Amino acid sequence: MCQQPTNDAEKQPSLHHARRNFLKQTSALTALALAPSVVMKAAEKKLDEKAAGFFEQKTLNIEVNGKAHQLSVEPRATLLDVLRENLHLTGSKKGCDLGQCGACTVHVDGKRVLSCLSLAVMQNGKKITTIEGLQQGDQLHPMQEAFIKHDGFQCGYCTPGQIMSAVACISEGHAGTDNEIREYMSGNICRCGAYPNIVDAISEVAKKGGSRD
Amino acid sequence: MLLVKWLKKEAPVINFDYVKPTTEQNALTACKDPLAQFIAGGTNLVDLMKRGVTNPEKLVDITGLPMSNIEQKGDNIFIGSLALNSVVAEHELIKKHLPLLSQALQAGASPQIRNMATVGGNMMQRTRCGYFYDLSMPCNKRTPNSGCGAKEGYNRMHAIFGASDKCIAVHPSDMCVALAALDATVLIANGKLLRRVPFKDFHKLPGSNPEKDNNLLKGELITGVEVPINAAFAQHSLYTKIRDRASYAFALVSVAAALEMNGKTIKDIRLAMGGVAHKPWRLTTAEQFLKSKEATPANFKQAAMLALKDATSYGHNQFKLTLAPNTIVHTLHTLAGI
Amino acid sequence: MGNYFFDSATVFEELDRVDGKAKVTGQAKYSAEYEMPGLAYGVIVGANISKGTIAAIDINAAEKAPGVLGVVTHLNITKPAGYIAADATKPAAVRGLKVFDDNVIHFNGQPIALVMADSFERATHAASLIKAQYNKETFSTGLEQAMKDEKPLEGNQYKESIRGEKDAWKNAAVKVEGTYTMPNQVHNPMEMHATTVKWEGDDKVTVWEKTQGVKSTQRDIMQAFALTEKNVQVNTLYVGGGFGAALRTWPHAMAALIGAKKIGKPLKVVLTRMQMFTLVGYRPEAIQKIAIGADNDGKLIGMMHEANAVTSNYENFTENIVKMTRALYSCANVTTKYNVYPVELSTPTWMRGPGEATGSFPLECALDELSYQLKMDPIELRLKNYAETDPENGKPYSSKFLKEAYQLGADKFGWKDRHPIPNTMMENGWKVGVGMSTGIFGAFRNEAKLGLKLMADGTLIMQTAVSDSGPGTATAMTKIAADAMGLPYNKIKFELGDSSLPPGPTQGGSSSTSTVGAAVSTGCVTLQKKLAEAAKSSPVFGHIVAVENFLFQNGEMVLKTDPTKKLSYSEVLKNAGMTSIEFIENSGRNPAMEKYSAYSYAVHFVKVLVHPLTGVVKIAKAVVAGDAGKIVSPKTAKSQMIGGVVGGIGGALMEESVIDERYGRWINNNFADYHVPVHADVPAIEAVFVDKPDPILNPVGSKGMGEIALIGFAAAVANAVYHATGKRIRELPITPDKLI
Repeated sequence: MCQQPTNDAEKQPSLHHARRNFLKQTSALTALALAPSVVMKAAEKKLDEKAAGFFEQKTLNIEVNGKAHQLSVEPRATLLDVLRENLHLTGSKKGCDLGQCGACTVHVDGKRVLSCLSLAVMQNGKKITTIEGLQQGDQLHPMQEAFIKHDGFQCGYCTPGQIMSAVACISEGHAGTDNEIREYMSGNICRCGAYPNIVDAISEVAKKGGSRD
Repeated sequence: MLLVKWLKKEAPVINFDYVKPTTEQNALTACKDPLAQFIAGGTNLVDLMKRGVTNPEKLVDITGLPMSNIEQKGDNIFIGSLALNSVVAEHELIKKHLPLLSQALQAGASPQIRNMATVGGNMMQRTRCGYFYDLSMPCNKRTPNSGCGAKEGYNRMHAIFGASDKCIAVHPSDMCVALAALDATVLIANGKLLRRVPFKDFHKLPGSNPEKDNNLLKGELITGVEVPINAAFAQHSLYTKIRDRASYAFALVSVAAALEMNGKTIKDIRLAMGGVAHKPWRLTTAEQFLKSKEATPANFKQAAMLALKDATSYGHNQFKLTLAPNTIVHTLHTLAGI
Repeated sequence: MGNYFFDSATVFEELDRVDGKAKVTGQAKYSAEYEMPGLAYGVIVGANISKGTIAAIDINAAEKAPGVLGVVTHLNITKPAGYIAADATKPAAVRGLKVFDDNVIHFNGQPIALVMADSFERATHAASLIKAQYNKETFSTGLEQAMKDEKPLEGNQYKESIRGEKDAWKNAAVKVEGTYTMPNQVHNPMEMHATTVKWEGDDKVTVWEKTQGVKSTQRDIMQAFALTEKNVQVNTLYVGGGFGAALRTWPHAMAALIGAKKIGKPLKVVLTRMQMFTLVGYRPEAIQKIAIGADNDGKLIGMMHEANAVTSNYENFTENIVKMTRALYSCANVTTKYNVYPVELSTPTWMRGPGEATGSFPLECALDELSYQLKMDPIELRLKNYAETDPENGKPYSSKFLKEAYQLGADKFGWKDRHPIPNTMMENGWKVGVGMSTGIFGAFRNEAKLGLKLMADGTLIMQTAVSDSGPGTATAMTKIAADAMGLPYNKIKFELGDSSLPPGPTQGGSSSTSTVGAAVSTGCVTLQKKLAEAAKSSPVFGHIVAVENFLFQNGEMVLKTDPTKKLSYSEVLKNAGMTSIEFIENSGRNPAMEKYSAYSYAVHFVKVLVHPLTGVVKIAKAVVAGDAGKIVSPKTAKSQMIGGVVGGIGGALMEESVIDERYGRWINNNFADYHVPVHADVPAIEAVFVDKPDPILNPVGSKGMGEIALIGFAAAVANAVYHATGKRIRELPITPDKLI
């Protein structure tokens, strides 16, 4: 018989378990429950996938910008898509969806990461900060102000990622010189070419004693 | 007119099961399913899944396992397989004893990716060959026996050492080049005993089965690496990476070098290259040649020529036959201060 | 010295981008970011052959996959009216590739299906289940091969252009010639193309589209679906970069419209980064021969420039590759030829500095080469052949301050410290070289309508249906209006990105500030007249109502002869019993321009470091000096010039999209393998401007800037690399392998 995967971290039943239970309850298919696992697997794929799909979700508890969310997500959904499509926090941008541009940069438990390469389900219990959570009330974060002052953007699409990365660049201690900033901001591509202005903005915030995060 | 039938395509973004065990034993059990895979940082695996190159039906999230410690154990530094690339690169023990590893890590990817990627995952990352990633082009590594697109195609980034008829891809890691140079040992759990594999034997050459990148067996889990401390190497080591842009790019070639000097004489040396083979490429002949020799430009040049003795190019990557020795020489010059 | 900087009546004041706050807080919404109930997700499936026909397509598995709402292919499409020409002698309204029109495959990656589902993940997965069988035909994707096997297109635009004597260069005392190659380059704006569609019934639609032309997109949709103007609403509030890639309404947008109609739900289609290489244009690869002859004093005797480039097999794409050779320098004998070969790739499209960016590479490298042969400073050689009138037609220039730009840039860069002999300078183990080049691009002004509303509270609202892909159009327009009306910036609102606003131009060809700025400028003059008229009702001014008698400053009309007599705009309106002044200003070309030629100019200066052993090239310093007329918004203007230089670094050192010609597929179609510059590639860059108004082109005095920022830059780098190493690299990009 099919081996049930171990799942000691979460109390919810595994995907296959839940889905199979659902399928077992579908009367016409009861007999299949007795079939060898390989056959059952093959048979499963011909079943009503639309209904079965309902069970292919996991509970996800995350805190985004200080607000707790309980969501139900497919394991294949990335943090970026959950932020943008489920929570409608579209400040985090999709520039490549392959971890090659930095536009989706967010902070997870205070560290800058790429949300397009992060499976949402793996963020359970974590604290996420996006560009929408950077300012305090009406008060812009010093990095946001510096980007405006130094004109650190044109089209604005890479900007949220640049700013999230810039804040982390300083808190990590990698904003000592302009060249250090350039190296440690190289994961954020800007096609309009605002790099020199971005470096000026970060350098100014760093010199003023860093930034609040 | 030719009627072409396309084989069943692999399926990107297939949905999969997800479990997150908290013990090594449970992780190993959970990953016994034939189509189960471990996931940690996910920086390469999620990318591969999006493109349909890899289609696991179950992901076993191992980030809940206690495997991220970095500590000194006797004459070795132990690095847990879940230690993040960024944490390793900036760890005091690493900067003090293994600066070469720190430099190599900093040269890889971007700060965001280094904040996600783990040591074990870095070892497991797959090639960046364009044919490997495109399901509509042949690749023996992705789809065994479909052919190698690169060999007679665009192979500028490809291997000059140890390639086979089946595959000329290179391993893309920087970290692994440093670990190969530093004689690290890989620690592997399989539920019974702990297997210890010399780092240079962890990755394999493509041979007739390029679908396998390394010698890790199904049902095994990398728990960490051990790197011997060598005070002399810590004083004189350098990682040089040559790439098409100044940062956030894979290596055309890279060189990891560590020297132990006795006055002007090289007492001991470690040399490895990246971007040139299916695995981190240790330059043992060049090392042997330079031992007990003086650190002179002439000797470095000769060592670099010896290192390239068995190199072959495939057309677009011919420049590597010059760039590789030049980078070796440049690295040794810099390291020896000449 | 004098009082130069204080001549202007307007006190210099930095204006931050008016949309800056929205952009730094994540509130700026791009075309894929509109939330609506029932929104479906569409994914485009591309062909994986380059030429042939679809023999069979199986959508069964995709249709049955979880969450799938529908699939569109050529077999089940309900064709839009515009696919079929009403009159057989005329082309159909939809031009270019008609997506899903038939089973013919023109290029690899061509859309063969649209899969729509209730989530992005499900749509993506289901898209992978589409299976197709093809009848495959032989094809070609590379220019070099096409030049061997095929004949170039014929037509007037491809005819040889001969000025003076054809082969004059051959008989010159000093001559240079060479063949230069440049690969396909891809715009790759950071925002991937996205279209969100919401139909209301069969004949009314709202589209959120990434486009540089709001009205052109609206027109394309109207024509495709035979809809009225008021029933096609196009919204484009923010565009995440374009560089030319958003100048057209592409097949994926048409697919989204067709698909949304089919499933009866709002739908969004976002391209993948891989699809950005195949479906939204690229700068076509080019192989160019150039030859220049001069006398011993450096006077140009003759030039020959032959360019070869690619287009698709279904559309003729042309650009001004060889024009710069005819237009930049004074030279009596110039022959140019432009050959275009159709290949099995999608249609190229204009990319920043279209044509000139390609043509300037051989031209400005050849000038450099000539200067070394003549042992003459490269700037001196250019000044020797400076065109005082347009060499193409003898017309005077509306303005030309290129000489000033050479001087300004050279001073800023420290050009005088250049060692005249190449391969002589070293710094810390790196070879050092400096190089320069010139770039030109026509200065244009098109038609625009601008809505102006002066509100009761003294706020000025301006509206026009343009979009802004990044340069900061709203910011520049705010600046122009603030200066003209004497209003503080926060009293001005510039509204764009909405097709229901008065029609504005497409943002392309460096013409937005000239075109829309002219409308703002003349609109403000009209507004002043209307205010003066309204002021008749205000007793404070008595009988004096002619507009010439007033100053407009600080939100007030001030009587010139007695500045104590003044009235705020809102009081003028109040006294006249008006709640607002509203009108539409029409602006078009200045007829006087018939007699003139108009160009913008840039001079690029670059210092490179070249590593002798590894061939790595670093840009150590870059200065760009521009003659772009009057600089309206100094802060954003500087940014735009710097941005062009960064794009130029990409083109010079790393950008190359590679196709495996056996498969017709892209090898490096992503940001990890198609390299664009990152922070670490880019030094501090200085942008300086002559900043003198063009008195004729438009009332603002501005000329275009977006294109010249990049044009010529690759040549400046190649020239600097030559100066550093003595190696003349004629093949872009200049990667390390070419220098070892």
